Amino acid sequence: MEKILSDKKAIFLFVFPAFLVFLVIVLLPIFFSFYYSLLKWDGFSKGVFIGLQNYKNLFINNTDGFIISVKNSFILAVLSVFIQLPISLLLALILSRGIKGEKFYRTVYFIPVILSTVVIGQLWMKIYNPNYGLLNFILTKIGLQSLTNQWLGNTKTALGAVFVPILWQYIGYHMLLMYASAKSIPTDIYEAAKIDGATESQIAFRITIPLMKPILKVCVIFAVIGSFKAFDLIYVLTNGGPLHASEVPSTLMYNMIFFRYQYGYGSAMAIFIILESLIGTIIIQKLFGKDEAY
Amino acid sequence: MKLFKKVMLILLSIMLILSASACGTSSNGSSNSNASKSSKSSDTNEKITLTFWNIFTSDPQKTIVKNIVDKWNQENPNVQIEQSITENDAYKTKIKTAIAANEAPDIIYAWGGGFSKPFVDAGKILSLDDYLNDGTKDKMLPGALNNITYNGKVYGLTFAQQASVLYVNKELFDKYNVKIPTTFSELIDAIKTFKSNGITPFALGEKDEWPGMWYYDMIALREAGAQLSRDALNGKASFEDQAFVNAAEKLQEMVDAGAFDQGVMGLTRDEATAEFNQGKAAMYFGGNFDAASFEVDSSLVKGKVEAVRFPTIEGGKGDPTEYIGGGSDVLLVNANSKYKDEAVKAAKYLAENMSLEFYKVGAALPTWKYDSVDQSQVDPLETQIMNNIVANSKDSVLAWDLYLEGDQAQTHKDLVAQLFAKQITPQDYAKQMQEKINGK
Repeated sequence: MEKILSDKKAIFLFVFPAFLVFLVIVLLPIFFSFYYSLLKWDGFSKGVFIGLQNYKNLFINNTDGFIISVKNSFILAVLSVFIQLPISLLLALILSRGIKGEKFYRTVYFIPVILSTVVIGQLWMKIYNPNYGLLNFILTKIGLQSLTNQWLGNTKTALGAVFVPILWQYIGYHMLLMYASAKSIPTDIYEAAKIDGATESQIAFRITIPLMKPILKVCVIFAVIGSFKAFDLIYVLTNGGPLHASEVPSTLMYNMIFFRYQYGYGSAMAIFIILESLIGTIIIQKLFGKDEAY
Repeated sequence: MKLFKKVMLILLSIMLILSASACGTSSNGSSNSNASKSSKSSDTNEKITLTFWNIFTSDPQKTIVKNIVDKWNQENPNVQIEQSITENDAYKTKIKTAIAANEAPDIIYAWGGGFSKPFVDAGKILSLDDYLNDGTKDKMLPGALNNITYNGKVYGLTFAQQASVLYVNKELFDKYNVKIPTTFSELIDAIKTFKSNGITPFALGEKDEWPGMWYYDMIALREAGAQLSRDALNGKASFEDQAFVNAAEKLQEMVDAGAFDQGVMGLTRDEATAEFNQGKAAMYFGGNFDAASFEVDSSLVKGKVEAVRFPTIEGGKGDPTEYIGGGSDVLLVNANSKYKDEAVKAAKYLAENMSLEFYKVGAALPTWKYDSVDQSQVDPLETQIMNNIVANSKDSVLAWDLYLEGDQAQTHKDLVAQLFAKQITPQDYAKQMQEKINGK
């Protein structure tokens, strides 16, 4: 076995197929997109090379609200990290302490992750509907009629209304990751802590959470990158509207390529999203410091 | 090590096979284009095959087209039509790529206005002027070829058309004793009456943007008339013309009168038609294609809907019979087709028969003269649209998102949405339309 692993050719042979797939499916399209982003191209006729003009249009003389859409995706990232993840963590900590009905709750919290995004989108569209929606109905019934709103149709509330289901959907996902990590911490550590007289909250903050650091890092990266790339629920719920109030970079990109036929400019947006995600990952890695194995 | 060599050998052979087949397809491609270049030398005694791409993946259209093609193939044993059917959205991408690569079929299903214009500009579509004076034009309805005419030349045969329709819920109009509006001020009165009785005057889903655009395009047609609308869309006239500003003002007047739900910006078209179906809205303005959803069995308004013209506007320059729509679905003939004469002949046969057969089942409005069709067989709402709106009409303009091309169409829809939300003034709207659409 050792002989095979030290054989360079064997390593090459095992790595090559995966590398080839990665190259063709992931890397090449990125390079193609980068090339397209240097063109003025409608996807149909011949593209004209215009250098970095598309990137200039993105940031300097921007007219389509790209910068606002980037800001929106940052808001979503912040909300994910500071609202979604703490909720997931709390649930994971409670469940991992072995409460009654642990499996039941675990399944319930995970259900939104399994549902198709389009189904969730349709569900929340019904909840938000101004005429017969659940939300307005409840508000009216408890005497808060003044708070009823056209949630998805109002430029002031649309962004918030779209973010709620996105945050809600992935709480279960992060919870499961954290739960698995918390469960894998050896029980003798807890026993020792209990003997020393540690309280539950002390155990959580001094033992469990520090030992979960590697998985927390993964969760933060997923949450931030997921926010930068967010598309499906927003597309279903508002399609970036009304009047671009809930636009994020990927909905804008979709619109640019498939409705405005600006493949070059849309590709520049795609490249921006890739770079943004890459840089985001690196920064988070740095913030968390090195992995410490326990 | 032996194993390693074997595996490498297999990998190598796979690569060879892949590259060989790649060569194969490319040589096929080039021989095809060679063949199409040496066209015209078609021998009519030989059996030839015409390819026909379309989007009829579902019934009733699918069966109808199949029957028409089968009938042609029986009557013309030497000229066989071969269909290839693709789903609508995928088709749009497929046909664009195929035309660009000179691999398009002989007969192409397409849409009039902005969709086909790039193909015509690129010289990929056969001009049909020389083929239509054999009485074909007389068999078609007046204006049927307007939307597929570029620079004075006809490039396709339409077989279906769109028409803007004001659907009114007769029951609600009777209940609140409202007269079906024929002028804009009557319309505003009707809106106010329904509004004060807690009925939504107009069901509209503006999340999709194009349904609201139909309102503006219609009002602009009444204010400016068909000719000025077309001139502005072609860049020959300005959108800053007072007529287009007036139209924007009229639209906002409707919004102010409470014509639409407050949440209209967040509703989809499906939600809007559902609202009308449940009898909760008094009117729905849209296209003939909406009629089908009001006539389904689950609809509460089935049989209570009347299709009428959009009201006239006092002082507007447009003719009261003009409507938004016109020939929308067309058959084009590939300019690189090997058998041009046969392809045109087949396209004529297909277009005429599809037009009439689709009308019979209520799948589309005809662009060919339909005297032969038994009116009692046709869906009643469909005949109403034909008789009340399309017949005796002087002119029509295609919905602007079809008339313009991708980027400009999107800009127009965005600006109209801003009018609905009152984010811009009518003057700003006109100014931006002119800058962004005709300024380029």
